[in-house]
Amino acid sequence: MFTKFCAAISKISLVLAVIGLITVILCVQWQVIGRYVFNDTPTWAEALALLIVLFVTAFGLAVGVRDAGHIGLESLVVLLPEQWQHRIEILIHAMVALFGYLMAQGGWLWASAKWGEKKPMLPVPDGIDYVPLIIAGALIVLFSIEHIVALLRGEEVEPAWN
Amino acid sequence: MELTVLTLSFTLLLVMGVPVAFAIGLSSIATILAAGLPTAVVFQKMIGGMQVFSFLAIPFFVFAGELMLYGGIADRIVKFANSLIGHVRGGLGMSNVLGCTIFGGVAGSPLADVSAMGSVMIPLMKKEGYDADYAVNVTTHAALVGAIMPTSHNMIIFTLATSGIASVSVLGLILAGLVPAIILTLCNLAAAYWVAVKRGYPTHGAFPGWGQVLKAFGGALPGLLVVVIILGGILSGAFTATESASIAVAWALFVTVFIYRSLTWHNFIKACAKACKTTGVVLLLIGISNAFGYFMALYEVPQKTGEMMQFISSSPWVIFLMINILLFILGTFLDMAATILICTPIFMPIAMQFGMDPLQFGILMLINCALGLNTPPVGTVQFVGCAIGEISVGQVMRTIAPFYGALGMTLLLVTYVPTFSLWLPNLLK
Repeated sequence: MFTKFCAAISKISLVLAVIGLITVILCVQWQVIGRYVFNDTPTWAEALALLIVLFVTAFGLAVGVRDAGHIGLESLVVLLPEQWQHRIEILIHAMVALFGYLMAQGGWLWASAKWGEKKPMLPVPDGIDYVPLIIAGALIVLFSIEHIVALLRGEEVEPAWN
Repeated sequence: MELTVLTLSFTLLLVMGVPVAFAIGLSSIATILAAGLPTAVVFQKMIGGMQVFSFLAIPFFVFAGELMLYGGIADRIVKFANSLIGHVRGGLGMSNVLGCTIFGGVAGSPLADVSAMGSVMIPLMKKEGYDADYAVNVTTHAALVGAIMPTSHNMIIFTLATSGIASVSVLGLILAGLVPAIILTLCNLAAAYWVAVKRGYPTHGAFPGWGQVLKAFGGALPGLLVVVIILGGILSGAFTATESASIAVAWALFVTVFIYRSLTWHNFIKACAKACKTTGVVLLLIGISNAFGYFMALYEVPQKTGEMMQFISSSPWVIFLMINILLFILGTFLDMAATILICTPIFMPIAMQFGMDPLQFGILMLINCALGLNTPPVGTVQFVGCAIGEISVGQVMRTIAPFYGALGMTLLLVTYVPTFSLWLPNLLK
């Protein structure tokens, strides 16, 4: 049940990331079209692209956590006895979850502190830049817990979308 | 005190096996706690590091590379390379090097290169009687050239890593990479040929004639235009690097869907998903390295490292050699993006102090990192090559010497002869 829920969230995150990435590409291309075809560079395009890419990163990196896409050093842990390898794996996921929690917390602080200010080029609050941190942080915590639960049960987390 | 916390916590987390980006993040947080500051500062630095327009070129290059990987351009490049040099001794090995170089120019990533070209060339070479270790070594080494090609997203990562130390333009770095890329290819060709002669590999038929070569080139041309778009767009001043990269994505999509008609919906989705995941992983690393770099600068890590190195020698030759060795060792353990982001702020100031140009340093850094991709324990390109060739890393390592020689030769030439990397950027300044 929990695994199914996480798989669904992961899939939705990836779909949102893909939509975001395509939007970013279109924004940058619109900037080129605006400059050469309409002789009028849209100032919002760059700002919007820079904002959306933060969301793409947030969703992409969270799915990366679930699908074990982030690269780390594994060669040294392999030398340990199996039981210890298992414990360290759980500890690694706990560390990643801790970072996720701190990221969400830090994001929340900055987002609320800067919500009153407006972005210069876009009609949105300045604090919105930090919302991706909250999303990514929360998803990282969720997916790390999923990994820990799976490890304790002796299961593996299957990537939702390959 | 804070510096000790930073280095110790980072090393400990890394050795434990925490993914690099998270190890950097957590050690930055530990440092800021030791300094008695609020942890939110780390995240402010992180978002700050991600708000740069040239940053956007990274997801674009990754996406274009993924589309090319699934879009069937590899087959056409193989055909072209084969028609051109397939008839010489060890011909498939030679055309493999040439093909990987061309594909590297299109995709800009050693990993995409070995996946695309390797899955075509390695089985083909094995079928034609070449040994698997030779096939894998030729492919994995030739694929490395992708890291210094104009479409390489690692070049953008390097320019981001230099912010605050020196002003390095994306165009300058792209131009600086071109001559070393040719040198690397020539060295790879020489190594492939030498081993082919030594093992007595056969020749395959005669030269098919320029007509056939031209025809094969025509088949590959639409895909190759990606490089022309990027180089031409930036050089003419019509587009910025980021804009060129976004147009490269559109072109890659157009070519694979309408000209080659080889991109299925399933593969398109696969490329999108892979691009997003890679984007997330790499961009997190860049953002968080911005915080890490801030602490390293604050606690004078580059100066201290520099002093330590000068304690050993004050000759530029020795210092450059030491930088190469250190970069190579770190590159074998860390992912390419992580090595670039962590090592640039530390070693670039020292290299510059001893008279090395930032552009030259960039190419040196990229080649060293690329070499790390073919070296255990964390040699991602080598892993992929071995998986395709169905051979163990150990077996491949036994006969790797001539190919390491080719890369080492290139590295020495780039390190000690600045003209190779600086001639073109200076010419077109």
